Amino acid sequence: MAAPNSLILATAEHLSRFAPFDSMTREHLTWMAERLKLGYYSKGEIVLSPEIGDIRNFFIIKQGEIHGEQDVVRAQDDATWLELHEGECFPLGALLSRRPVNSTYRAGVDTFCYELATDHFHELLHKCPAFHDFCTRRLANLLEQSKQVIQAQYTKSSSEQQSMTSPLSAIVRREPVACAPDTPMRQVLETMNSLGIGSMVAIDTQKRPLGIFTLHDVLSRVTLPNLDLNTPLSSVMSTNPVTLPPHALAYEAALVMAKHGFRHILVEENGKLIGLLSEKDLFTLQRVGLRQLSGIIRKADDLETLKHAAEDIRQLAHNMLAQGITAEQLTQIISTLNDLLTTRIIELELEADAAAREIDFCWLALGSEGRFEQTLNTDQDNGILFSVPDGKDAEALRGVMLPFAKRINQALAACGFPLCNGEVMASNPKWCLSLAEWKETFDKWIYHGAPMDLLHSTIFFDFRPLFGNRHLAENLREWLGEVTPKNTRFLHQLAVNALRNKPPLGIVRDFVTGDGHTIDLKLNGITPFVDAARIFSLANAVSATNTLQRLREAGEKLRMSAQDIDAYCDAFLFIQLLRLRLHHEQCQAGENLTNKVDPDTLNALDSRILREAFRQARKLQTKLALDYQV
Amino acid sequence: MRMLTWLFGKKPKLTDQQNERLARWRALPAADIQQPMDASRYVVVDVETSGLNVNKDRLIAIGAIAICNGKIALADSLEIVLQQNRVSDKQNILIHGIGGTAQAEGVPPVDALLTFLEYVGSDPLIAFHVAFDQTMIGRAMREYLDFKLKHVWADLAYVAPALYPELARRNRSLDNWMEYFGITNYARHSALADAVATAELLLALGPKLQTRQATCFQGLRDMERERRRLTHPI
Repeated sequence: MAAPNSLILATAEHLSRFAPFDSMTREHLTWMAERLKLGYYSKGEIVLSPEIGDIRNFFIIKQGEIHGEQDVVRAQDDATWLELHEGECFPLGALLSRRPVNSTYRAGVDTFCYELATDHFHELLHKCPAFHDFCTRRLANLLEQSKQVIQAQYTKSSSEQQSMTSPLSAIVRREPVACAPDTPMRQVLETMNSLGIGSMVAIDTQKRPLGIFTLHDVLSRVTLPNLDLNTPLSSVMSTNPVTLPPHALAYEAALVMAKHGFRHILVEENGKLIGLLSEKDLFTLQRVGLRQLSGIIRKADDLETLKHAAEDIRQLAHNMLAQGITAEQLTQIISTLNDLLTTRIIELELEADAAAREIDFCWLALGSEGRFEQTLNTDQDNGILFSVPDGKDAEALRGVMLPFAKRINQALAACGFPLCNGEVMASNPKWCLSLAEWKETFDKWIYHGAPMDLLHSTIFFDFRPLFGNRHLAENLREWLGEVTPKNTRFLHQLAVNALRNKPPLGIVRDFVTGDGHTIDLKLNGITPFVDAARIFSLANAVSATNTLQRLREAGEKLRMSAQDIDAYCDAFLFIQLLRLRLHHEQCQAGENLTNKVDPDTLNALDSRILREAFRQARKLQTKLALDYQV
Repeated sequence: MRMLTWLFGKKPKLTDQQNERLARWRALPAADIQQPMDASRYVVVDVETSGLNVNKDRLIAIGAIAICNGKIALADSLEIVLQQNRVSDKQNILIHGIGGTAQAEGVPPVDALLTFLEYVGSDPLIAFHVAFDQTMIGRAMREYLDFKLKHVWADLAYVAPALYPELARRNRSLDNWMEYFGITNYARHSALADAVATAELLLALGPKLQTRQATCFQGLRDMERERRRLTHPI
């Protein structure tokens, strides 16, 4: 065939914006483009259906939208479970296994599709590894690609080796404090003291560094010689300071420090001072170890140590995120460490409170903490469950527990877990209850099902024991497992509530955005999965609280296919990962943590997977709606 | 002067081989315009010229794409720049983007036109505003091949408003109709890209053509005639 003309080139170019075509070689892409036909499907027209039988073409959407409907009999708006957009292709499974499609594919709007004959599809599959990979691994592959992108983005702040290869420009944060060389020492020392800094750089009017004076020099050059504090900085400082350019790597700076015994390196660009790197800056780059950290927490004997440990937990989470750890592992690690921290805080408070020591109680983790799904911005959700021995009064025991709980809540707040706005905390008398009282409370919610009751149940029914007598919590869970499956009205109400919150998938646009052109990853992304998993678990007496575990256990009881369950879990984890990354970025930028993401800031791959994940959420909701006749 | 040499000047000289190619094409049977659209091949054409004067301006490029059995076949496309001994002016180049060098390095016109004929074969032609494309191609055929091209054409500039009379007032140009159907163009004012956009327009008109039972080329011509009669009553 002759050299490809502008149409073939433009087609290849257009497709190369989408996975998997973006990772195919030009040669394969051109080969494919030369074999494409372009077809048109007006809105509502069926492109593929199970009745068609053998599939003749592989479709790639050029423009428009294709909807997949799983069941032709119920082909109505709600039956749409799949929405495919520009650059996406279908049907893969049917083509690969050479069988008819299971779903009906219908044009959602007027749509143009590129079509590749089945024989050519298989030929391409054979000749192009990237394409083969994509078709056979699909979602798994997309997730993997996304992970690689994350790793590439974050390498600079990840593990020790990696961080040591990051350029100094990435490490140096703020402009160094500097002054003119003729500044009197008194003023230099006062500035260093008031700003709490370890060094002062002398610069000339062109901002060229002339020398450096550090805290270490104070003893030998100022105090011992009894220096006149009117002496100018220039006669005390170390001259000809070592400088490195901003593109020098961290380990080079470490080498220079080691070689000369310096604690500070100046970063200079075009003869101007732009930064100062201290030995400490390099140390903080080093990873805080998980084992080391848990050891510190276990042995901590004051709040101060625990506060630092809490900071380290966050730092560790950031580092691990950077290494491309999965959301499941990460949230579990965060939860584990936070559990340890909370446990240690309670232990310390118990040591100081003899009255509380006398009481048989269990500290309950609620909400996301109860589900082992804490992220980097989780506020406190906790409660106390205590047993009332014969002859004792619950009210009196509560009187002992409340001040004790209050101190724990405050200590947790000091460690960076903000107090709960809704007062869902153990120090609230409403949530510091005996076993009988908890059962009575839950019972009321289940039988009344008022809006507030439903809201509470979404937080409290995710309870798990964190500290103390686990049997109390297990007893409560067992009781709940007996009560809820029987109460279909309550489950129906929960389902109605859950279904009010729809995943933000648009018909015309990719995403439906809320205020400020953002999507709330927690409310619209995570919550549909969490809610559905909770309802399915309550209905089937599944005692797990973790959403993934619930989906797996309840899914099995409900005979969902393993493939569907995996897809739900992957989708949930991806959204969770996006959320963690968002928090990580916000942290780095010193912003407040929110769950709102502007979809335009996502790369093409992530936005594609996110759409797929939302589709899974919608599919799960469809199942929920069917099961509960909503 | 050019007009005079064109009218009275010497006939163009074709090599034996070129004469043979032309003869072979002329021996092809006429297009079967009763064949249904989803079982035949149409060629959609667009041209780029040195200007809009059909009597004076020169044909610079031809872009063509085939619709085979109702689908646009990307590889069954033609994009050919005719070699110019005089480069068109700057304003003109800015429109189609075929620069001076590309114009000078184009395919010699005789070969270009023969290639185009062979590409079309006996299949019917489609364009938006046929009069312009047909005249420009026809003049070049006469000038370089000494041959009067008679071929069947259908004009979407009449077919589209015939199918959507309520939109006819607001939509006159190819751009208007493209916008209405949300058709994109990878490079507007490139002959091939415009031909592809025109082909996409034809596909988008498909459902309406079906309801009017105009599913073969003759049907397109009927739609066109209907509209012509309405807009230019005899």
